[in-house]
Amino acid sequence: MREKATTLYIGPQHPGITGNMMVRVKVEGDTIVKATTEVGYLHRAFEKLQEKRNWLQSFTLMCRFCVPETDPMEELYARAVEAIEGREVPERAKYIRVMVLELARLASFMLWYGGQNGSLGLYTMGQWSVGDRNYILDLFEELTGGRVYHMYIWPGGVRRDLPKGFEKRVLKTMDYLEKRLDDYDDLMFDNAIFKKRTQGVGIVDKDKAIEHGVVGAVLRGCGIKSDIRIDEPYEVYDKLDFIVPTQEGADIWARALVRRQEARQSIRIIRQVIDMMPGGPVYNKIPNPQKWRLPKGDAYVRVESVRGEVGLYAVSDGGLKPRRIHVRGAAYVHAITLLEDVLVGENIADVSAIMNSLGTCPPEIER
Amino acid sequence: MESVGYHILGGIVTIIVAFTVGLTYMGLSRKITARIQNRKGPPFYQNFIDALKLASKESAIHHGFMQHSGPAFLMVSAILSVLVIPVLNNGNWFPNLNFHGDLIFLIYIMVFGSLGMALGSGQTGNPNSAIGVTRGLSQMVGFEIPWVMALVAIMVKYQTTSLVDLLEVQQTGGWLMFSSPFAFIAGVLAMLGMFRYSPFDIVSAPTELASGPVSENGGKYLFTMMSSGSIFAFAKLVLYVDLFLGGASNLIELLAKTFAIYMIPMLYGVVSPRYRTEQAIQYFWGWPLFFGFLALVHALVF
Repeated sequence: MREKATTLYIGPQHPGITGNMMVRVKVEGDTIVKATTEVGYLHRAFEKLQEKRNWLQSFTLMCRFCVPETDPMEELYARAVEAIEGREVPERAKYIRVMVLELARLASFMLWYGGQNGSLGLYTMGQWSVGDRNYILDLFEELTGGRVYHMYIWPGGVRRDLPKGFEKRVLKTMDYLEKRLDDYDDLMFDNAIFKKRTQGVGIVDKDKAIEHGVVGAVLRGCGIKSDIRIDEPYEVYDKLDFIVPTQEGADIWARALVRRQEARQSIRIIRQVIDMMPGGPVYNKIPNPQKWRLPKGDAYVRVESVRGEVGLYAVSDGGLKPRRIHVRGAAYVHAITLLEDVLVGENIADVSAIMNSLGTCPPEIER
Repeated sequence: MESVGYHILGGIVTIIVAFTVGLTYMGLSRKITARIQNRKGPPFYQNFIDALKLASKESAIHHGFMQHSGPAFLMVSAILSVLVIPVLNNGNWFPNLNFHGDLIFLIYIMVFGSLGMALGSGQTGNPNSAIGVTRGLSQMVGFEIPWVMALVAIMVKYQTTSLVDLLEVQQTGGWLMFSSPFAFIAGVLAMLGMFRYSPFDIVSAPTELASGPVSENGGKYLFTMMSSGSIFAFAKLVLYVDLFLGGASNLIELLAKTFAIYMIPMLYGVVSPRYRTEQAIQYFWGWPLFFGFLALVHALVF
């Protein structure tokens, strides 16, 4: 006998949702038979606004695309502009950019630790990791003046050089965070209930991943080794020694294991970058922003964020403003088409955990 | 024979103490949890402030008689439970209403509140409430079986259904946690479900059900639930102390023992993610049930 289906609205204001979006699920008993994602609660029209602002003013909107990890968006914009204009970036600035990008990855991993465990009721992890994330934000504040929105990686290099003794403070923070990751392992990865809740849940196998155009840890969690930092190295990633972890499980647990290793790899990269960082200028000065025209042309650049590959397409018509800016975010696929597919057959208790595991970031969807 | 007035006064004092101690323990648990989580946390008396605030608010949403009655059922269950359980074992303070057969009465009355709350939440029409209620009743089926097996084992072994008799047994024969270890283990494991801390907080699970059964309630309804929750927590703790830890002869001993018991579900919850409903039931029908069986065998053979 078929059970009567009930419709549940998870979001847009719900403790289990990852941002301003909604998932409408039809459930029979505890099992989801249909899932429909709804966005539109956070539309800010950034891409359109950028067409009305000059090239430098547009840059200040980039970091707002995805709050948990702002720097990859700045990196994208800077590289797209540099590609169109042919502007060189000083070598030291490239190292600083990688350091900042990896610090941003670490900070984003910390948020993910909190979100993933919070969705399963293990709130202690969230308090720990978000608390520890503050040490990274302290570094950002010292370097850029902002804790979350930095506006630091801009066309031509970075906005300013490292403060005196900054490298030492970064290394000290890395030592601390490395120890804390061991604590996280004890609480999360050695936890039998966490394993029970995550193994075999939210399966995204290779076929489904390829069909949907999945990226990042979700792709690596089903055994496909893909990382823009290796596949299409930018800045100085080709000079660095790090690994791209993969897992075969294709479930929440596998993706968690991937991210766990990636966090440690970020620490490894930061140490290498500081060790190898050359001296010299950090900024190839741009002209007066009010008179700064880019040559006619376009560029598509990609960067690896914690959510996965993010791409940016920029078009210049030779004017003072971008003709078109378009972001291809990882979250768009993960939180809309993939999520609707993955949720069918799952338990309603797992919706939030799956959303966190897929790296759904509503601000990035609504640009 | 003590007068009726003495009993009434004792009952009122018991309820006040239960309310105060229960809320204080909850406040302390928030503080301890915060410290484990590298936070300062709210003051231990924060729950009293919250309770006052909730009590002073007007309730604008009404879904009908049953929704109105749900929190009242909870309160009745909590008060009846705490009045039946002997709080101190010297008989001078808190004599209360315990009687021969009180253990059987407790088995029933302790689930009465949850059933009443289920009816009340059902009337709200909120699907999150309905799912939360289903989860709560399912989990109750899980932990009630090993819990009742532990109680039956004790009743069979000592040939009594009276908590006062069991307290007297422990005065001479030592704590039941040593003489009936399997019943104690089954009881403690079942208790994890009763307190509904993580991993057994599946009823309210905020990230899943947006607080479940309480989601349509506010103000005085929440105050009533909070108060009955604190009284009920005290009742359960005292029951465990009476059953397995020899009761308490004075308030300090009572507080020490009850707080030690309270720390078990609380600390376990701080480091545990939440089970899914079926996983919670599987848990209770695993080791707790096994120890429940052992307790019964132990009671029948030895």
